[in-house]
Amino acid sequence: MTTSSENQKVGPGAPPHSPQLTPHLRVSGIRKRFGGVEALRGVDFDVRRGEVVALVGDNGAGKSTLMKILAGAHHADEGQFFLDEQSVSISSPHDATDLGIQIVYQDLALCENLDVAANLFLGAEPTRPGWQFLPKFLRPIDEMRMEKKALEAIDQLRVRTLQSVRAKVGGLSGGQRQAIAIARAVGAESTVVLLDEPTAALGVAQTRQVLDVVKRLRDNGHAVVYISHNLRDIFEVSDRITVLRHSANVATYDTQDTNPDAIVVAMTRGLDGDGTHAA
Amino acid sequence: MQPDVQLSFSDRFRQLRETRFGTFAPVLLALAAIWIYFGITEPAFLSPRNFYFLFMQSAVVGTLAVGITIVLLLGDIDLSVAATSGVCAALMAVLIAMAGVPGPLACLIAIALGIFLATLQGLLVAYVGIPSFVVTLAGLLGFQGLMLKILGTQGAINMRDPFVRGITTITLPAALGWGLAAACVLAFALASFRRQTQRRALGLELEANSTLYGQVIFFAVLAFAAVATLNSYRGIPLLVVLLIGLTALLGWVTTSTPFGRSLFAVGGNAESARRVGMNVKHIRVAAFGIVGMMAAIGGIVGASRYASVSFNAFAGGPLLLEAIGAAVIGGTSLFGGRGSVWNAILGALVIGSLGNGLDLSGASAADKLMFSGAILLLAVAIDAISRSGTSQTR
Ligand SMILES: Nc1ncnc2c1ncn2[C@@H]1O[C@H](COP(=O)(O)OP(=O)(O)O)[C@@H](O)[C@H]1O
Ligand SMILES: [Mg+2]
Repeated sequence: MTTSSENQKVGPGAPPHSPQLTPHLRVSGIRKRFGGVEALRGVDFDVRRGEVVALVGDNGAGKSTLMKILAGAHHADEGQFFLDEQSVSISSPHDATDLGIQIVYQDLALCENLDVAANLFLGAEPTRPGWQFLPKFLRPIDEMRMEKKALEAIDQLRVRTLQSVRAKVGGLSGGQRQAIAIARAVGAESTVVLLDEPTAALGVAQTRQVLDVVKRLRDNGHAVVYISHNLRDIFEVSDRITVLRHSANVATYDTQDTNPDAIVVAMTRGLDGDGTHAA
Repeated sequence: MQPDVQLSFSDRFRQLRETRFGTFAPVLLALAAIWIYFGITEPAFLSPRNFYFLFMQSAVVGTLAVGITIVLLLGDIDLSVAATSGVCAALMAVLIAMAGVPGPLACLIAIALGIFLATLQGLLVAYVGIPSFVVTLAGLLGFQGLMLKILGTQGAINMRDPFVRGITTITLPAALGWGLAAACVLAFALASFRRQTQRRALGLELEANSTLYGQVIFFAVLAFAAVATLNSYRGIPLLVVLLIGLTALLGWVTTSTPFGRSLFAVGGNAESARRVGMNVKHIRVAAFGIVGMMAAIGGIVGASRYASVSFNAFAGGPLLLEAIGAAVIGGTSLFGGRGSVWNAILGALVIGSLGNGLDLSGASAADKLMFSGAILLLAVAIDAISRSGTSQTR
């Protein structure tokens, strides 16, 4: 199954912003079962620094499951992980964070009972200096630094309608919540950013801002994975497009060498007779 | 930075609710209403002597309610908390009375036992995945049995140890009481103003000056009024100082540390908490450990106050229900993710005042039960209504 995606991987002619030549994050043979459902059956995937890979496929194709595995939220039943071609293991969210992988979950994974600043730093609260004698989880949170950094992160995304980083997330609109989830992933130290349908709840203007953020991440040398059902957006920001169907790879395309119709066909019917699908 | 637009009343109300004092508003109002009502109908109610007994009576319930609040934040419940108290108190009494163990050591052993029993239940909840309701219901029954076993046939052990008795009999000299109150008020004021200055320096949104001064003045009035009242009877009970200190510590842990933040996060959305890397299982076990500690302390306080440990003081239900009721009346959500240990203390005072006032007015046990039920319902209703105004989903 590795051979099928191998020949599609490196397209002719480097893209204009010249991404790295070897994959930054690469996984192969990823399998995941949920009880009787086989959500991923031996999927390969890779992304380089300085490029945006779009991940497409019908609902239920396994995109979110793959992203959750990369982020350590699910544990793969089988499969290998490589970071800069070094074998690594991702078995918890901490592993992923430590490897520089950040994610915007499709369901956002926010806590509605906490305020914006608390959500932005959830699980990574900055603590005040001078309390080293206490274990880390009992040191006082540096609320002011947190708020200050939260304001900066929010400003970057220009969520103008958001009045205060001390507002509870439960009272915010879908678009505002999505912006916060994005700000959380983008604001943290990372080299890989995974965005699982980050524009689903956004209007035209806000979608544009997210696309700008994606481009900025790419230009800063991040490896970006972008999941969306909007092919126009995908053709605008992506360098490569990986198509999943029925829990398996169909193919990976260079965006400049393909067109939306071909992608739709690959998503819905696969590559008949090509032998690439493991299904 | 400061918004100079005209705010509507509902905005102001919401802002008030989001300030530190705002979350206290409903339970404080309830407490004020009860005190005013009984103050008018029962002149003895507002006497310093009665306040002294009110605080002492509410102490056990308050201690347990503070502990329960910690697991309620997670969306769990501990039905065994009163029974755990009983077991710990019984063990302490046996150790002192029969084995001659010194009081302080016996207390420490009792606290260790409380932490152990609750941690055991926490492990079952977190790692085996049994709902806390079921685990602690089993604990409630089992620990009541254990308590009977420890107490033996007579079913009660007298408590004469001076150390244990001292917890509820010692009161502070008047001057020390005033000094403590002044120190607390000063610390509170300094912390508030320092915070405001730092926030201004960082360009963060500020609290309105009126709110800031209002909080400090309110706190000062409350503290000095309490000291004045208690000093005109026997002075501030040591127990009150201990309880406030413990609550302050747990209040700090829950609101200002990553551990506390994770309690709220798990209660709000356990899956989100897990995905940002929080160890939900450890957090759950730790929370149960804290309840166990508070249960044991409650048991020691109870033993000290009644000068005996008896089955009926802890088992059977009223103590458990009052403790849970106090937490909920304080405004802590049964669904997790919202609440405060300070509110649990206020909730315990509401329940204590109600019982005390009804006792004074010669109400029957039946009346007391019905009144308590009505207040609990009212508290939850007030909270539900005021929350729907802040567009919370739950
Ligand atoms: N936690 C889960 N438990 C059981 N089945 C799941 C779970 N998560 C995903 N699945 C199943 O795995 C398949 C792939 O889902 P998903 O990765 O969410 O697809 P996509 O994101 O491409 O729409 C679906 O059939 C879905 O029902
Ligand atoms: Mg999905």
